[in-house]
Amino acid sequence: MNLSFLSPLFLIGLAAIALPVLAHLISKKSGAKISFPAVKFLISSQGDLAARSKIKDITLLILRALILVFIVLVFAKPAVFSFSAAQENTPKSQGIVIDNSFSMGYSNNFSRATSKAQDLIDSLPDGSFVLITSLVPISEQEPSITQDKIQTKKALKEIELSYTFTDNDKRLQDIYTKLQKAPNERKEVTLITDLQKNGWENEGVLRSWLEVIDISENLEASNHAVSQTQLKHEKNSITIEAAVSNFSSDSVKELLTRARLGDEEIREFFDIGPEDKSVKKFNFSNDRREMPSHGSVETSHDKLKVDDIRHFIINDQDQFRILIVDGDPREDSRLSETYYLARALETISELSDTNIFIIDNDSFIDEDLLDYGLIFLANIGEITPRIAKELEEFTNSGGSTVIFLGNRVRAGSYNALLKDILPGELQNIEEEKLSLLPEDSDIFSKDIKEKVNQVKIQKLFNFAPNAESETLISASNNKPFLIKKEYGKGSVFIFTSTADSSWNNFSITPVFLPVIKNIHDFPYLAKSKRRNYLVDETVNIDISQDTESAIVIDPSGQQFKLNIEVPEFNKTGLQGIYTVEQNGEKAYEFAVNIDPKESNLKKTSIPKIESTSKQEGGLVKVFKDIWRYFLWGVVALFVSEATFRAILS
Amino acid sequence: MSNGILDIETALRLKGFHFRTPSKVRGYKAGIHKSYYNGISTDFLDHKEYNKGDELKQIDWRLYGRHDRLYIKKFEDEVNMRWCILVDKSASMGYGENKSTKLNYAKKLSATLAYLLLKQGDSVGLLGFSEKDIEFIPPKAGSPFITPIVDKLESFKPSGTTGIKEPVLKALEAYSSEASFVIVSDFLIEPEAIEESLKLIRNSRKEVSLFHVLHPDEIDFDFRGSVEFEDMETNAKVIVDTGSIRHTYKKRMGKFIERLKQICHENETRYVFSPINKSIENSLIQIADK
Repeated sequence: MNLSFLSPLFLIGLAAIALPVLAHLISKKSGAKISFPAVKFLISSQGDLAARSKIKDITLLILRALILVFIVLVFAKPAVFSFSAAQENTPKSQGIVIDNSFSMGYSNNFSRATSKAQDLIDSLPDGSFVLITSLVPISEQEPSITQDKIQTKKALKEIELSYTFTDNDKRLQDIYTKLQKAPNERKEVTLITDLQKNGWENEGVLRSWLEVIDISENLEASNHAVSQTQLKHEKNSITIEAAVSNFSSDSVKELLTRARLGDEEIREFFDIGPEDKSVKKFNFSNDRREMPSHGSVETSHDKLKVDDIRHFIINDQDQFRILIVDGDPREDSRLSETYYLARALETISELSDTNIFIIDNDSFIDEDLLDYGLIFLANIGEITPRIAKELEEFTNSGGSTVIFLGNRVRAGSYNALLKDILPGELQNIEEEKLSLLPEDSDIFSKDIKEKVNQVKIQKLFNFAPNAESETLISASNNKPFLIKKEYGKGSVFIFTSTADSSWNNFSITPVFLPVIKNIHDFPYLAKSKRRNYLVDETVNIDISQDTESAIVIDPSGQQFKLNIEVPEFNKTGLQGIYTVEQNGEKAYEFAVNIDPKESNLKKTSIPKIESTSKQEGGLVKVFKDIWRYFLWGVVALFVSEATFRAILS
Repeated sequence: MSNGILDIETALRLKGFHFRTPSKVRGYKAGIHKSYYNGISTDFLDHKEYNKGDELKQIDWRLYGRHDRLYIKKFEDEVNMRWCILVDKSASMGYGENKSTKLNYAKKLSATLAYLLLKQGDSVGLLGFSEKDIEFIPPKAGSPFITPIVDKLESFKPSGTTGIKEPVLKALEAYSSEASFVIVSDFLIEPEAIEESLKLIRNSRKEVSLFHVLHPDEIDFDFRGSVEFEDMETNAKVIVDTGSIRHTYKKRMGKFIERLKQICHENETRYVFSPINKSIENSLIQIADK
């Protein structure tokens, strides 16, 4: 608690305290002088009164001095101020956000978070408005901002664990924006979380209004998870390649892991180093009459059970294959043209049954392109007529070709041989410092559009798009950066700069992965009937022409009727096997698993978040006028002084 | 003779009064005071049986008629009286404005009393005193003697401290035979000193009357605000808030007066409270008989 004065100049008036003191001293020395006979009676009388009189004089002096001090203070308007922590009794608008990402399922974190939220609701000063919600939205309709604590607690009970995570910054900002509708001047958002790293992309952002409560146990959370399953069809068998990740700093020994396919179960023991993963193959023979439609891989349970199992669908179609042709390979893979591209595609492949093949320019000539669904050409110098023809056939049949340019690229060769599939014409190389601007295209999400300006380009090919093309991303002087053209059943994408960081920083920005994922999904969805999804992902249900009605049954048995016109299914909140029925008969199944990234319980940088909330939130001065108390004090002192005088005189 | 301090009007109003001593005195000359010697006065004292040698004219024949036995009537002898008026002329008696000082009041009272006493045939002496300054006029009878008394009284100036023992001893030395003392003072000394002096006088078989002269300021303490008081005799100084001290002062003064009255009572002394706003007549009448 600190003291401040709103009109400190009035404190000069404190010099007035000298007045009663002087009056006191003067009165002691002045007064009429009288010669008197009976002074001995006065002296003896004063002897009795001396002590009493001294007390009276000093008390009156103090009272009068205090009256002056209080009057001066009333004018100086003292106010106590405190930082945010001292505002406990002021009504406020409080957003309470419970982290319900699936990492909160670790131990009893989630129940402790809800309990903490309940305490927060109870401790809110009367007149406060509160909005209670979850970090990962669980329904389209958010709870309303209310003063009713009972309603708030009811909303709290409806919050349940999710199997995914969200962009925490954006979500918290949205909640804070919604809180602006509440009338109270003081608005705060409290996030009750385990501070698990996922979702904190901009953890350094200052948020004066955000208070973070770390609900997790201080002990390091150890967790292991089935992080990936990959199916390989062989002649007489199916091999399930399962990766089990250990996210703790201690190694895991003899971790029992079961792969189930129908009635058959294969057990393996995994030894995994700290913060490492181990991959093992489970081989099931394929000699039986009827192959099961799905299976699972499950490890022994730990405190976070939900990621200890991963479901998969036995998809009899060809696996999706990606070919990366590196036109400038290096011995040190980190220096090669396709290093960042390969890392991005590996990340994407963890989510789907995708195989990635990286070859150099020489091998490219012998490769059968029709085996692939997606081909990346990175800084390929020469395009032979045969390759050009195969690329044309590949694209025409539904494949996607993505071309990155570079210093080895010969524009003339490209323009001549790939004329039909290219979305325009390559021109000269230009060196200029540019940033990117997103085109008004629906292909990229809003998030990606917002981040493309982080990309800085030093060099690119001038490119003249043709009429059939669509520029998805442009540079700041309106020079095309990413251009797309649909050819036959497939598509061709061309980046006018390099895939590595020699001409730009594209590959090392947050934009790169979503852009590549987006490009990846075009042919993947076209060529493969995708059957493995992540929690909360929207599933495009395959509807045959004669379908009149279709339902989806989730792992809990709940049925959802599909709109045949727009066969999209987005109730994928539970992990497990979903069944699609068309016209009352089972059509196919798809699996929904959680994003393995959430299994890593590594915390985000707590100091940053804590310092953020202290840095600004802690320095907000809240003033409380106390001059009225001094005014009452003046009145009380006047009364006391008068009473005191009356009693003693 | 100056008429300044002699209140003739008061004296005339008190003409019919006599100033007597309450006890018998051994006067040397016929006067109004009862004598130890039975004799010629008209005041009947007692009867006794007749014995040889008694004068026949003293036989109470009426009593003889009723009881058939001879008794003679005994009468008190009335003699004149010697007075000593002791006037305090210490500095404290100078309190008051212009001529309304305590000393002036004491002078008037003493002069008027002396006049009346001389008129009734008594002899009067005067003793002006402070602790170290005693002026004495031996007693004389006869009206003309008022002049030196008044002149002496007028010459008194307030000075010195109050002291009563020395003047009393001086008076006792001068008045070896029967006498009555009148002390006019503010008596602003310790009560024990007054008591001691009264005992000295009483042990000498002398009558004594006190006129306690005070100024109304000393009684009511009607001052305002903070005042520095300086003692008129000791020069002791004290600053007091008159408002806060008034009550206590009056209480102490009241106790002092009561104590003085008590001492007088214990020593068969007449006490007359004589604030200067009280008329001389009212003060003197306290010791007068019709």
